[in-house]
Amino acid sequence: MLIPHKYHSPIVAAVLLIISLAVISYSASRLSETGFLRKMVLGAAAPVKDAVNLSLKGLHDYWKQYLFLVGMEDENRRLRHGNVVLSEQLNQYREGYLEGMRLRKLLNLKDGLTNRVVAARVVDRSRASQFKTILIDKGTTDGMRVGFPVLSEQGIVGRIIETAWHASQVLLIVDGNSNIDGLIQRSRAQGILQGAGSAGCNLKYISRVEEVLPGDVVLSSGLAGVFPKGLLLGVVTGVSRKGEGLFQKIDVAPAVDFEKIEEVLALIPNAGAGK
Amino acid sequence: MIYYLLLPMLLLLLVIVQITILELFSFGWIGIELSLIVVIYLGFHLDTLRGGVLSLLLGFFLDCLTSAIFGLYMFLYVLIFYLSNIVGGKIYAGKSALIASFTALCTLLEGLVIVLFYRFVFGADILDAIPKIFVPQAVVAGCLSPLCFILLQRFEVFLHVEDR
Repeated sequence: MLIPHKYHSPIVAAVLLIISLAVISYSASRLSETGFLRKMVLGAAAPVKDAVNLSLKGLHDYWKQYLFLVGMEDENRRLRHGNVVLSEQLNQYREGYLEGMRLRKLLNLKDGLTNRVVAARVVDRSRASQFKTILIDKGTTDGMRVGFPVLSEQGIVGRIIETAWHASQVLLIVDGNSNIDGLIQRSRAQGILQGAGSAGCNLKYISRVEEVLPGDVVLSSGLAGVFPKGLLLGVVTGVSRKGEGLFQKIDVAPAVDFEKIEEVLALIPNAGAGK
Repeated sequence: MIYYLLLPMLLLLLVIVQITILELFSFGWIGIELSLIVVIYLGFHLDTLRGGVLSLLLGFFLDCLTSAIFGLYMFLYVLIFYLSNIVGGKIYAGKSALIASFTALCTLLEGLVIVLFYRFVFGADILDAIPKIFVPQAVVAGCLSPLCFILLQRFEVFLHVEDR
């Protein structure tokens, strides 16, 4: 060899560095052209790069889809929760609206009365009890006293039989112990409306000679001074003159639906009325 | 024989992987330059002619696929190869700490040459790329290099076995 072995490495290094510098110089002077070798490399790399990029894109899309589904799940859960909350709110608003409607009816009733009235909410009702009563949320602190009449927008409910500071018990007109002076609107025949439990009420002491027909309206007569005159008690559903005796048997359906009643008005008698 | 048939293709594949898949992990900030680690490995383990040609080839592939200045990576990789070759001849290059620090140093050197090249050839001042890009890149390359060296050693053993 012409060149000593110890100079081989520096010479190879120098040659390779010169080649690379020459390439830089050559490519800098001819920017517009792409060499054959470079074209080959680009041509060989392009399909591989394309395949890799396609795979990566597929993975990326798959991951985005996964994230999208995770997001959808979260959103779905959030919307379900929102739906429950909104349904609850809607329910509250609907209840408020219905309560408002009922109170408006009570208010209309109140406007037609001369007595002072106290609106009360029904907090309990005896379902299976022998006594047909309801419990309202107003008591002696609100001016309630035993014997005060209680009305709803449908008609007479009953009267107060027990009072506490913040609650009162109301005896319904369908209870057997309830007796109210009533009259038939059409014929003006007067009698006593007595409770008959689940059967409704019976109008007693109406003479057999009086003509009473099913559908006749029964009103309070106002005689005993407890209930104002002319308030609706119920409607005659059946009349019987069978059997002996002076009076006919008259079945009356109460005007008030005691199963659905929610708000009532308690009448406070005028100061001079009780005396 | 396998060196001359298989290695160029593998080097091209390495460059493609580097500029496609590994770039995903860099989040567009710093590159993970496996090719530079390979060049340093070649400098530590191969003779000047074979290693030099492979480094030149690797630089050529990288120039073809990424470089704006064709030939720059060829020059840089040959330079770093001979630097590694000289260092590898003087000291025992088997310790991880040495490999990591030397790789980091070479990455910084590469960055410095690129910055100087841009400065003097194109008149562009990209000095701020050294702390923003090349220093973090040097740290990443330094951390990865010991692991890469282990893998490359196993691959070299595999090639020798296949070659026989």
